[in-house]
Amino acid sequence: MRRAVLATASTSTLVVVLLALKPHHTTALADRAPVPVPAPSGTVPSGPSDPAAGPAAGNGTYTGDPVDTRYGTVQVSVTVGAGHLTGVKVLQAPSGDGHSRRVTAAAVPRLTQEALSAGSAHIDAVSGASYTSQGYIRSLQSALDRAGG
Amino acid sequence: MTTATHARHGTGGTGRAVRPRRAGDAVPALAQAVIWAGAAGVLALWWSDTESVVGAAGWLTGGARITGLLAGYGCAVLLLLMARTPALDHSIGTDRMARWHAAGGRYTVSLVLAHVLLIIWGYSLVSHSGPVDQTRTLVLDYPEMLKATAAFLLLTGTALVSARAARRRMRYETWHYLHFATYLAVFLAFGHQLANGAEFIGSRPARTAWYALYLTVAALLVWYRFLVPVRRALRHRIRVAGLRHESPGVVSVHLTGERLDELGARPGQFFRWRFLTPGLWWTANPYSLSAPPLAGHLRITVKAAGGHSAALARLRPGTRVWAEGPYGAFTADRSRAPKTAPKTLLLAGGAGITPLRALFETLPGEVTLVYRARRPEDLALRGELDAIAAARGAVVHYVVGGPGGYSPPLTARALARLVPDLAAHEVYLCGPPGMAEAAKRALRAAGVRRRRIHHESFTF
Amino acid sequence: MGTVFSFDIRDPCTPAIEAALAEAVAWLRHVDEVFSTYRPDSTISRLARGELLLAECCEEVREVLALCKSAVRVSGGWFSHLAGGTLDPSGLVKGWSVERASRILYEAGARNTCVNGGGDLQLRGEAAPGVPWRVGIAHPLRAGELCVVVTGRDLAVATSGCAERGAHILNPHQGVPARGHASLTVVGTGLTTTDAYATAAFAMGDMARDWLQSLDGYEGFAVTPDGGSWCTDGFPGVLPGALPGVLPRVLPGTRTGAQDP
Repeated sequence: MRRAVLATASTSTLVVVLLALKPHHTTALADRAPVPVPAPSGTVPSGPSDPAAGPAAGNGTYTGDPVDTRYGTVQVSVTVGAGHLTGVKVLQAPSGDGHSRRVTAAAVPRLTQEALSAGSAHIDAVSGASYTSQGYIRSLQSALDRAGG
Repeated sequence: MTTATHARHGTGGTGRAVRPRRAGDAVPALAQAVIWAGAAGVLALWWSDTESVVGAAGWLTGGARITGLLAGYGCAVLLLLMARTPALDHSIGTDRMARWHAAGGRYTVSLVLAHVLLIIWGYSLVSHSGPVDQTRTLVLDYPEMLKATAAFLLLTGTALVSARAARRRMRYETWHYLHFATYLAVFLAFGHQLANGAEFIGSRPARTAWYALYLTVAALLVWYRFLVPVRRALRHRIRVAGLRHESPGVVSVHLTGERLDELGARPGQFFRWRFLTPGLWWTANPYSLSAPPLAGHLRITVKAAGGHSAALARLRPGTRVWAEGPYGAFTADRSRAPKTAPKTLLLAGGAGITPLRALFETLPGEVTLVYRARRPEDLALRGELDAIAAARGAVVHYVVGGPGGYSPPLTARALARLVPDLAAHEVYLCGPPGMAEAAKRALRAAGVRRRRIHHESFTF
Repeated sequence: MGTVFSFDIRDPCTPAIEAALAEAVAWLRHVDEVFSTYRPDSTISRLARGELLLAECCEEVREVLALCKSAVRVSGGWFSHLAGGTLDPSGLVKGWSVERASRILYEAGARNTCVNGGGDLQLRGEAAPGVPWRVGIAHPLRAGELCVVVTGRDLAVATSGCAERGAHILNPHQGVPARGHASLTVVGTGLTTTDAYATAAFAMGDMARDWLQSLDGYEGFAVTPDGGSWCTDGFPGVLPGALPGVLPRVLPGTRTGAQDP
């Protein structure tokens, strides 16, 4: 009996220590109901927009909202110059375990490319076969909206 | 208390040579080190794959992954311990590995239980569902999880059946066969480890290593528990040559066969015997060799204690036998006595005389045998032991209880009186658990170092 | 399963529109609860397993199944909510739920909206006064690029393909994954039927173009696995590089080779 107690105690201690030694992010891993929808972030321009030009855009860098997904938090910031998107930076992406890191490493460059080409084509939305990387797009959307695009 | 002593002829040497290091001693320690190193490696796999632990769900899922990895590794180790590989068996000892297996088995089942609870709890938090819902999702929707659930039930069922309270109520054979369900459980659970384990998904090196671990263990199991015995049975064609009733309730079974020296059996070892006769063919019971093995002759001596051993008295000559073995590390190899003038004490209790009778004949140097039994009638093979003692100048002490159930105590002083210079002896001990524990305490109190006491227990 | 919906409302924000947005979100959640084939306890899953009778299900299920049957008829069986042996109206449900969400907003006074459900869109009104909506279609073979930009007012855009989730559209006549095109886009007015027809056309393979051509009110565009593309006459698309106001068009009915947009 004593050995059982000793084994249980030492194993529990070991597990807790291993977990405690890893870094902990400040944002908790939250999960949404299966139909997550962003708040209508900045999609409503308050004044009349210029009908001739494309979407009006102020130059500068804008940070999108952090978006929680099942696998982690995603947050991007965009740089706008000369009226269109010139750069996208990923601030947060799922990286809690090896699998998430691999998915992120594959997806981020691709999504960045898509965002840049979408931005330069002055489009309002993108249609394509189902994305699974929606966190990226939503954060991007919010960043674009802050830029007034 | 009755003792009978035969005078010792010849003198034993007095010089003390330098004690040679025996490689055999290092193997159990090395084996344990390897097992712990493997566990550390498995934890390192988790460590390298995990970047962060976030929130309560992260802690729970992380704990579930760690316990799951350790349990999966533990299962492989448990199976390896039961694979009866000669290299491990002859150096670590069948009984010791069986004890490791039993302790490890309890530990692994606990790990599995922790793993299941933590993963259900962790996933429930992440998906905001209740534990019952989450369990249902896990079992029905995730890949390989139906099999894993079956494995879990089999494993806990086997654990319950193996608890001492349950085991006492059933025959050894019944428990033995039920225990085989663990093989099935491990087989069923393997798939879900690779399909759902976060550390394995998408990591080719981790998957390869896991496959390697399990395939190696499986190969050893198949080879040593199935192929080798079958091959041996065909090659050696062991059969019963005859029986001899040594004394009331004690019978020796003489066996013969071809090329038995190839088996490499040593005095002190045992085989698992499967007598191919109705009523006995479905069980393989372990009995030690009670005489040194010869190229054409093996002998076991059995006291009729239960259904199986009583049935042996009715064996007919010519009955075919499958002998699996030899097993056991209870051999002269373990002795750390100096090569020149070694002194050995053989301490037998009850049925424990059988392997010691074989060693009594063959151990080099000065040998003393102390044979404890309840009554004089219980002393088996007495005539042979006296003959051996006379032939090689060794001493036999018979210690039996008196009328009324009195049993002479097994104390350091009593032993020291029987065996002068006891602390310089190498001790081989074999007997029922109570007697063996008392003997060990007495020997230690008399100054015999723990490493020089070799004990084989029949109850694993 | 993780489809994300986004709302783009170009009208000034009013309390009614805010409330409608909340209602639309609740509606989408409700649809997931009822129709998600990934949830074993959803109405559709239980119906598929035979645990419920159709008469016991809510009105919406019957409406969806009726729409499915109609789509089956129009597409000659190439859209099927019974492909693969189990009841799965997902090819129509997403578009239908988005269209209804868009209508909820419309009835609250939002006249210029874009509701995007995992890449399928229902658009009403215009992006800005006098400026039509511009919707880029992701290039299925070249990551990060667009293959064509669709412009218009009051339209629905649905794209079917294998891009990210793998071959999840089955050819209902054979039960094997459809592989004729890399991606196929259908443009119509209501997303319910547009989504269903995009699924059907994708499953059709080579016959898609003629079929879409024959349909009134629907246009199609597709990218073939070798990088070429085709579209139906009247497809409201422009090359991605074109600026608004200047309209070089993809020549109707032309099969182009691996093109440089």
